[in-house]
Amino acid sequence: MNGKTILVADDESHILNVVSLKLRNAGFRVLTAADGQEALEIALQERPDLLITDYHMPLLSGLELCQRLRQECSAIPAIMLTARGYNLEPEDTARSGILKMVSKPFSPRQLLATVQEVLGETAVVAAG
Amino acid sequence: MPRPRTFYTLSLIALGCGAACAAAGAGGFDSPALRWGGDALLLGGGLGAAATIVLVRRGLGQLADAARKPGALVLAGRTVSPDTGFQFLTHATDALLESAERSVADARLQAKELEIQLKVATAERQHAEAILYSISDAVLVTDPFDELVLANESAARTFEFDLAKSGRSPVDQVLRDPKMIALIREMRQSHSRSGRRIVEHEVHGEAGSRTFKVTLSSISDGDVPGGVVAVLHDVTREREVSEMKNDFVSMVSHELRTPLASIRAYVEMLIDGEADDVKTQREFYEVIQNEANRLGRLIDNILNISRIESGLVRINKQPQSLSVIVKDAMEVIAPQARQKQIRISEELTPVFYQTLADRDMLYQAVLNLLSNAVKYTPVGGAITVEILVDEPQKKVLTRISDTGVGIPPKDLPFVFDKFYRSEANSRMAPGTGLGLSLVKHIVESVHQGRMFVESHVGKGSCFGFELVLCE
Repeated sequence: MNGKTILVADDESHILNVVSLKLRNAGFRVLTAADGQEALEIALQERPDLLITDYHMPLLSGLELCQRLRQECSAIPAIMLTARGYNLEPEDTARSGILKMVSKPFSPRQLLATVQEVLGETAVVAAG
Repeated sequence: MPRPRTFYTLSLIALGCGAACAAAGAGGFDSPALRWGGDALLLGGGLGAAATIVLVRRGLGQLADAARKPGALVLAGRTVSPDTGFQFLTHATDALLESAERSVADARLQAKELEIQLKVATAERQHAEAILYSISDAVLVTDPFDELVLANESAARTFEFDLAKSGRSPVDQVLRDPKMIALIREMRQSHSRSGRRIVEHEVHGEAGSRTFKVTLSSISDGDVPGGVVAVLHDVTREREVSEMKNDFVSMVSHELRTPLASIRAYVEMLIDGEADDVKTQREFYEVIQNEANRLGRLIDNILNISRIESGLVRINKQPQSLSVIVKDAMEVIAPQARQKQIRISEELTPVFYQTLADRDMLYQAVLNLLSNAVKYTPVGGAITVEILVDEPQKKVLTRISDTGVGIPPKDLPFVFDKFYRSEANSRMAPGTGLGLSLVKHIVESVHQGRMFVESHVGKGSCFGFELVLCE
């Protein structure tokens, strides 16, 4: 266990389960949420090290979730999953703490590599 | 009594005016001027003839006076014998009469020509107006003073003005659209030699906003600034279709990628050995199978809707009993309902009430409605299926009511739209957002029926359709 906590938010239960399992198997502590509102509440309470969120979710979209987190506390670094196939405006992503966009369908193996890269990078930035 | 010379002068003036008016009329495409020209020419010819008669009468009077007097006759300042005088007067009279006849004939000919020109000009104008009024695009024509000289009915409808009262009025008094007025003025002031400018312009009317492609053409003559012709082509529907296409592609992409994402992820997990026990492996296989089925249903639904919309689907309509079709669909859905302890009750009609329908399609529609009712009804709820016959109106009504979560009023108008899913309901059950759209197509496009929905949040929904009863 590497001690890092990751919150995964997706309204597709299959995706939520498979991503959680991949991250748990890699030693992360994983929290899950099935919509944006639930994710916001858990994030504010648990302050995870990383957020992996779907873009299209009920109640609160992935982007809105990141923006609310930015308002309520300092932004939590995030990886955005999207099935829409479009990119967000770089200004929106930068302001909301979104570090990477990952298109669905994705490889869990590559997602794990991205998570490790992002956490490594953020650690360096935080230390600097 | 006026002197004969005065008659000649008057006749010449009348002839001149007539010719000028006629020329102006013919050149200027103005029918009243052309008519006045013709009248004046006839008047001129008539006056000339009258003057000739007066002169001849006067000459004969002088000759008669001379004949009554003895001695020589003084004519035209010269002393001549009465015989020579008579001959002179006879020649003069003949020449005068001949000239008068020629003038009248010429005037008549010119009047005839002008009449023909008038008819041609009138016909051309009517032809041009007919073309103008028959085009569906809005057309506005202004002169160098920004006065509206021509407009068609489409323009009057678009800009909501009275066509009958708009003639020769300043354009800013006729149109209440500052941007359109500015576009016309800019075009006139630009003296554009190329003479064309195409812009997109939104017109806000009582019935809402519409988007137009406006083609502005300058009709200046050389360096002389002229008027402007504005043709407005309504592109509202084209823009809407284009947006709908983009939305459709985006939604299809999203809906296809979602199950595909699960399939790819679970397959990779199995390959990587991340599902270590047999139970987990079995769960993964089931997810893959279910998501592959979901993908297949999605593709089928998209293709079915597309085929019905494009008229490519083969429709086989036969007299069918709705009660039989509903019974068949209820049997298929019963296991799912039992799993959620949902009770299905029925109030069906005798099988001899029939409707002309494609059995498979109508079965698909009823199955989709029943499947939705089961999906959105909580455990322990109830579903009622009714078929009501209205014999006098020759209608048969099918109603499927549930005690489910209901649909918020804001979502209700959109539930039959492709890929539309009520946000609250999308959490309750997975779906493609195509099922109800397909039902509506089957009922309304294929069977010319009527689809309806009533819903109350927290109480339940009722979906149904009305079809024509067979004779």
